[in-house]
Amino acid sequence: MARQQGWFALLIALVISAFLLCINLPFQLGLDLRGGSQLTLEVQALNPNEQIKSEQLEAVQSVLDRRVNGLGVAESSLRTIGTNQLILELPGEQEPSKAARVLGKTALLEFRKQKINTKSEMQRLQRIRSQVNNIDLYKKASKDNKSELIENKKIGEQVNDLRVALGLANSSLNEHDQIDQIRQKVNSEIVELFEPSSLTGSDLVSAGRRQEQNLTSWEVTLAFNQDGGEKFASLTKSIAGSDRLLGIILDGESISEASVGEQFKVAGITGGSATISGNFTAESARELEVQLRGGSLPLPVSIVQVRTIGPTLGVDNIRRSLIAALLGLSLVAIFMVSFYRLAGFIAIFALSFYALFNIAIYALIPVTLTLPGVAGFVLSIGMAVDANVLIFERVKDELRRGNTLIRSIETGFSQAFSSIIDGHITTLISCISLFYLGTGFVKGFAATLGIGVFISLFTALSCTRVLLRFFMSYKSLRKTTNFLSENQLPKQLT
Amino acid sequence: MSFTPKNLNVKYTFNVSRNRSKVWLISGFAVLISFLGFFFSWTNQSIGFPLRPGFDFTGGTQIILERKCDSECNKITTINISEAFNNAKFSNQETSQKLFDARIQFLDGYKSLLIRSPELSPSESKEVIESIEFVAGPLEDGGQSVESIGPTLGAKLLQTTLISLLVAFSCVAIYISIRFDRMFSLYALLALFHDVLIVCGVFSWLGIINEVEVNSLFAVALLTIAGYSVNDTVVVFDRIREINKQESRMNFKQKVDFAVSATLTRTLYTSGTTLLPLIALIFFGGTTLYWFAIALALGVVVGSWSSIALVPSLLTLRKEN
Repeated sequence: MARQQGWFALLIALVISAFLLCINLPFQLGLDLRGGSQLTLEVQALNPNEQIKSEQLEAVQSVLDRRVNGLGVAESSLRTIGTNQLILELPGEQEPSKAARVLGKTALLEFRKQKINTKSEMQRLQRIRSQVNNIDLYKKASKDNKSELIENKKIGEQVNDLRVALGLANSSLNEHDQIDQIRQKVNSEIVELFEPSSLTGSDLVSAGRRQEQNLTSWEVTLAFNQDGGEKFASLTKSIAGSDRLLGIILDGESISEASVGEQFKVAGITGGSATISGNFTAESARELEVQLRGGSLPLPVSIVQVRTIGPTLGVDNIRRSLIAALLGLSLVAIFMVSFYRLAGFIAIFALSFYALFNIAIYALIPVTLTLPGVAGFVLSIGMAVDANVLIFERVKDELRRGNTLIRSIETGFSQAFSSIIDGHITTLISCISLFYLGTGFVKGFAATLGIGVFISLFTALSCTRVLLRFFMSYKSLRKTTNFLSENQLPKQLT
Repeated sequence: MSFTPKNLNVKYTFNVSRNRSKVWLISGFAVLISFLGFFFSWTNQSIGFPLRPGFDFTGGTQIILERKCDSECNKITTINISEAFNNAKFSNQETSQKLFDARIQFLDGYKSLLIRSPELSPSESKEVIESIEFVAGPLEDGGQSVESIGPTLGAKLLQTTLISLLVAFSCVAIYISIRFDRMFSLYALLALFHDVLIVCGVFSWLGIINEVEVNSLFAVALLTIAGYSVNDTVVVFDRIREINKQESRMNFKQKVDFAVSATLTRTLYTSGTTLLPLIALIFFGGTTLYWFAIALALGVVVGSWSSIALVPSLLTLRKEN
């Protein structure tokens, strides 16, 4: 009897520590339960026939990791899936478009100096560009007010003029696409006016941003390494005081053209730092900063899946699955007590411990709980009950054959053992293959179900047993009728 | 200690070997109906597939919006939404074209709105939501979900799911043939295919009649059903093996019958206790898990049938030990 109580004390200690674990460790809730965005990114090989190497995927991940950190979303996570995919989770983020913009860019930064004798051409293109921007601003303003465009015709004429100025042929494109086409044309022509240099984003050590003195716009600050600082000095020296500009080109697009003052004629801009001012808003300056600081992507990436779940939808999901889990558990409890009496009552204890241990393990590993994961947990309750049912049925069988209670219980456990093991192992096998081969939430489901199967083995074979033995050490509970109704007992005993 | 059925008082509530032709008829009929479902679904022009594939297999964007209404939501029609799409000024011309193929559906009595369209970029989705807000607004702040999935990802998802299904099956078959015997593992696999087939069949009919789609959650449900089916069957196998060791006087048929009778209560109880949480999930789990829970519940019922009736009836085909 002392031994039984020793085991019982151990069980209680386990339960208490599991309980403490649950309280003290935070749960990892999946995005479907807490709200947020999930982006799946696919890395593209430069050559379609080529496979992405794992080093390449790692390199892309480290660049993206730095960019994601720059976004400043708390608890974001980025992990690789398969050979060419990355999954980015941004809890709480409701506008994935911002993240998508920052992540997808290659962020290849170049510093180029303007070619000789292209001043007038540059000015003409810059003028066209500002006209295009004005049209866009005007259209945006009228769209925000949800009013009709009054000067629609005038814009059409302007666009047409610009097209003629750039020598673009007539086309059937709509106005929006026409403006896009003009912008692209202007941009490529501006980039054409610069000659490449050896100074690129790889010479950068850091990037930052600050508000310009006029307080209306932002600028991005750059710091080069020593080598880059020297290159920058010689580059600026060569064009200082001339009418040639310094072009800052990102992903083949000119984001800023700056003039270098007369005073840098002797040594160029030294000190290894520079600023880009290109009419940035706080937001766009931050995006550029994030991209530059993260470095350039070795391979292009594209976004293949985006999920956004609103926070109240997530809370609603938790509430609903909690209700389902609790209701399911209590129905099972009623079922067990009405069919197995005292044993059923003990099984409820064992099942509650089962649920508690499960949750403790989720917090300990940690398992990210998703909606399918919760479903897996609810389902594993069914399996945990099965083990108890197998045992109690055997106990009943033994009692019907006229065995004593204690002996029936012991035999019941030992006879149910092989069925329990076989049943659990077959489920475990499918869980393991699902976990290794499945993706995303299939994995979450397999993880919770697999953990459930393991713990169910433990609770059925030890918790139920320890509890049953403990209760049986009290003489008042050691009655056959606590397990089986009288009319089912063999005659000689009643 | 003798171990005979008489001693145990087991009532032959269900005699498998005597009823096996009935069992086969029922199972065969169910499988036939399932195949008919696949056939009709495949030849159906709007489906063209044995089961109606959900958007995570075909690719596209699904937007679910919750409307903010006090007690009752004012009724708007899908035509209102389409008009809103037509009037909206999207910054990308293609957006309107994509929305031309969009499917619009109201859920929960006009409270939520589901739009499914070809794949939209995050910024496009945002504009689409804004255009809807114009007619269906105000919208509940946190009650939106946007899911976009590229077509290649969907195909890959299907592929990996099928591979994991096959690997799981073969591993389980190997385990059973080691623990029991090769015929047992063959029958268990047969039962598993039978269960999965029938659940798929029901969903193909649901897809034809009720436009129910299968998604990757459904694939997860199938895997679970497969696991459950085997688990259930193994318990019967275990009992047969046990009786085989203890009883020499019975012939194999009798042993099978006895094993089924002895495990019948357990199988029914276990199915019952697994069904209870699933039923709770069906009624309270919300739309996301609704069809998932139904598929699982169906699988539990079919799985119990195959382990009580189908597998033992196949086993009785064998004459000797």
